[in-house]
Amino acid sequence: MKKETWILVGAVIVLPLLVRPAIAAEIWIFAMFGLGLNLLLGYTGMLSFGQSTFFGSAAYVAGWLLKNYGINVFFALGIGVGVGALSAALVGYLCVQRSGLYFIMLTFALNQLFFFTAYQWTSVTGGEDGMPGIPRPALWGLDFSNPMLFYGFVSILFLISLWAMKRIVESPLGKILVAIRENEVRAEAVGYNVPRFKLAAFVIGGAFSGLAGVLYAMLFGIVPLEAIGFVTSGNVVFATLIGGSGSLYGPVIGSVVFIWLSESMSTVWARWPLLLGVAFVIVVLFFRGGVVEAWSRFWTWRSSRQRA
Amino acid sequence: MALLETKSLSKSFGALTAVNGVSLAFQAGTLHSIIGPNGAGKTTLFNLLTGTFAPTSGKIIFEQEEITGTPAHGVAHLGLARSYQRTTVFPAFSLLDNVWVSSFATNKSWQGLAWRKTDRFPEVTERARQALTDVGLIDKQHHLAREISHGEQRQLELAIALAAAPRVLLLDEPAAGLSPDETRKMVALVRTLKGRYTIVLIEHKMDIIMSVSDRISVMHFGSLIAEGTPEEIQRNPEVRRAYLGGVAA
Amino acid sequence: MLYALMGLGLSLIAGILNIPNFAHGALFAVGAYFLVSVVGALGNFWLGLLLAPIGVALLGLLIEYAGIRRLYAAGHDYQLLFTFGLALILGEVIILVWGPVGISHLPPAILRGGVDLGFTFYPKYRLFVMVMAGLLVLATWLFLEKTRYGAIMRAGIENKEMVSLLGIDIHWLFTVAFAVGAGLAGIAGALTAPIRGLSPQMGVDMLGIAFVVVALGGLGNLLGAIAAGLLIGIAQAVVAGYWTEASTVVIFAVMAAVLLVRPQGLFGIR
Repeated sequence: MKKETWILVGAVIVLPLLVRPAIAAEIWIFAMFGLGLNLLLGYTGMLSFGQSTFFGSAAYVAGWLLKNYGINVFFALGIGVGVGALSAALVGYLCVQRSGLYFIMLTFALNQLFFFTAYQWTSVTGGEDGMPGIPRPALWGLDFSNPMLFYGFVSILFLISLWAMKRIVESPLGKILVAIRENEVRAEAVGYNVPRFKLAAFVIGGAFSGLAGVLYAMLFGIVPLEAIGFVTSGNVVFATLIGGSGSLYGPVIGSVVFIWLSESMSTVWARWPLLLGVAFVIVVLFFRGGVVEAWSRFWTWRSSRQRA
Repeated sequence: MALLETKSLSKSFGALTAVNGVSLAFQAGTLHSIIGPNGAGKTTLFNLLTGTFAPTSGKIIFEQEEITGTPAHGVAHLGLARSYQRTTVFPAFSLLDNVWVSSFATNKSWQGLAWRKTDRFPEVTERARQALTDVGLIDKQHHLAREISHGEQRQLELAIALAAAPRVLLLDEPAAGLSPDETRKMVALVRTLKGRYTIVLIEHKMDIIMSVSDRISVMHFGSLIAEGTPEEIQRNPEVRRAYLGGVAA
Repeated sequence: MLYALMGLGLSLIAGILNIPNFAHGALFAVGAYFLVSVVGALGNFWLGLLLAPIGVALLGLLIEYAGIRRLYAAGHDYQLLFTFGLALILGEVIILVWGPVGISHLPPAILRGGVDLGFTFYPKYRLFVMVMAGLLVLATWLFLEKTRYGAIMRAGIENKEMVSLLGIDIHWLFTVAFAVGAGLAGIAGALTAPIRGLSPQMGVDMLGIAFVVVALGGLGNLLGAIAAGLLIGIAQAVVAGYWTEASTVVIFAVMAAVLLVRPQGLFGIR
């Protein structure tokens, strides 16, 4: 595990030299979002298509408090995590009773509930125009309007959340969630209250999504309506799959690829979501294991060729 | 006093009565078999005992306390563990992990559930290893469950139940689908478990039943039609009728 | 009524192919835009109403054949993601071909204006849509209940293995089911076009509602989808009368409330 840590720290240090600090920050924020989703998707086997509910809700609530009440950074982060977890608890409670298709549809439909609420509640959320004017309050004298300083802050939070997720997946809880994925009936027979564990996965995933949401709001200074929309939900699924849902680092790699690609494409062509859709389809058709699996397949192929 | 009892336990699915007023008493430390033709209700009985189904009527009593209606995830904590007729393990896990999750579930405490690394639970891991050793799979502990043979998976099936350190083992046709050689090994294994656990066994292979059972209960169309020692059952005319009347042993 | 149509199509696809078709909303939008194009090219609304859904159904056929079929081995999750990617692609294609701005499209001359219902003036076109959609729902239901092909489809929802064992090509069943579902979405879209105008967003908006209908009606429960669709349509109309902004939100809130009490939906059996 030590090697991966060094690579990550290295990546965190090097990234802002390769892309703008704001993009680099967006990458790690999205990675946190993806980590939350992957606990549900990769580990527990639940394809939640409504993660933007937690991401967006946290962004709106924390953003609103930051803007109108001038709360400090830590409080904002706490609110983000709390709102993310709470909304996930609500949504999760409704969804974990179902599985398969119903589950996926429910996560999506509930996402739409939140979306339309945000859309209509223009007095608070600004509706289609979003919620602008979100500040980045200073912390201990550090002025976060400096993009590099803010990037440093975001990346430290990212490393911490990655470490937290690592602890979770290496704990009994992580094993139990995978057991649920592998054989739900046996997991229950062996003594685990499956719906409750699924809910726990939801809440943890929601907390990570919420943290990402707050940071997103602070990064861009605005909460766009799309943050709670269905495309964002799909994007995080896509990014996680590109990287590979089978490993802890998959969502991280996927975020790097996804954000970098989408940011580059969006400046070139206004219709870039088309390319995104095409890329999505191609990955689904041909590269299902994502980068991580393709990489390990490549190494296996290479070593078998060397032996030959 | 019996360790595990059912009192007039019944289960109906609409118009179909799968289990009809079954009253059984399982004495601690014995191996009590349940036999009967296909469709007699044996597996449904197990499902009732393990909380997979709630009974339509009747009671289940364990250690003198009523446990009727305990949900499926609560039964293991009471001390009843089950192995299944159709192998149902965790395919992507190693053998060790397969038994580990079972061992952890019934561990005294779940402290460190989301925080401690799984290799820092020595008692859990020890119990898991012991279960694998008991069934003879310890050498393959790091193999993946989906990679081992069917016979070995049946052993793993049993190990998962053992890892819960139960008081009662409910074994549903542990020899199902095994070759004669593998069956012999399974029977030997069950013999080693006798005495250490209270065992309720469902089996179709008569020779196994006769050689390991302390007591046998016979079910037919959901009802109990006979009960006794292996010798008594072999001589019982109703049993012969139920079995030889249509389904050979 | 339209919701019933959408729900029916989605439920059919979900029941037979076992995937929530995330592109269903996009197909709805494509139907509307096809109508506009056909009317633009041929000048005849009725022809448009006929050709648009056929076009969408063909598109559905293509989608199933070229995409979804290839992913059977990969499992439902991937088929679902494929439809999601498709939804994105279709959404963007619509913008590319027809422009990002909303279009309004008037109903044909004979259907303009209102009908005096005594207590209120009701737009003729909406009345037409209700009747038309109702007829379509009825026709689809009759097809499914009374014809041999319909019976095959319903059997496919219940038990796919049985159907294939009976010698029916299961892949063909999937393709046709998807095409029919798509066609239903297409005609719903075509019918909607003159009501509220078109926009590239219309697909996504409708998708959520379609999902609610199916979730309430029960996956694969076709009658349930119809009933749920009607229920939701009425509920929305009623709420819109009192509190317009909340009308869409209410749909989802109702769904959440129902599912809290009855996780299997109003009519769901699975």
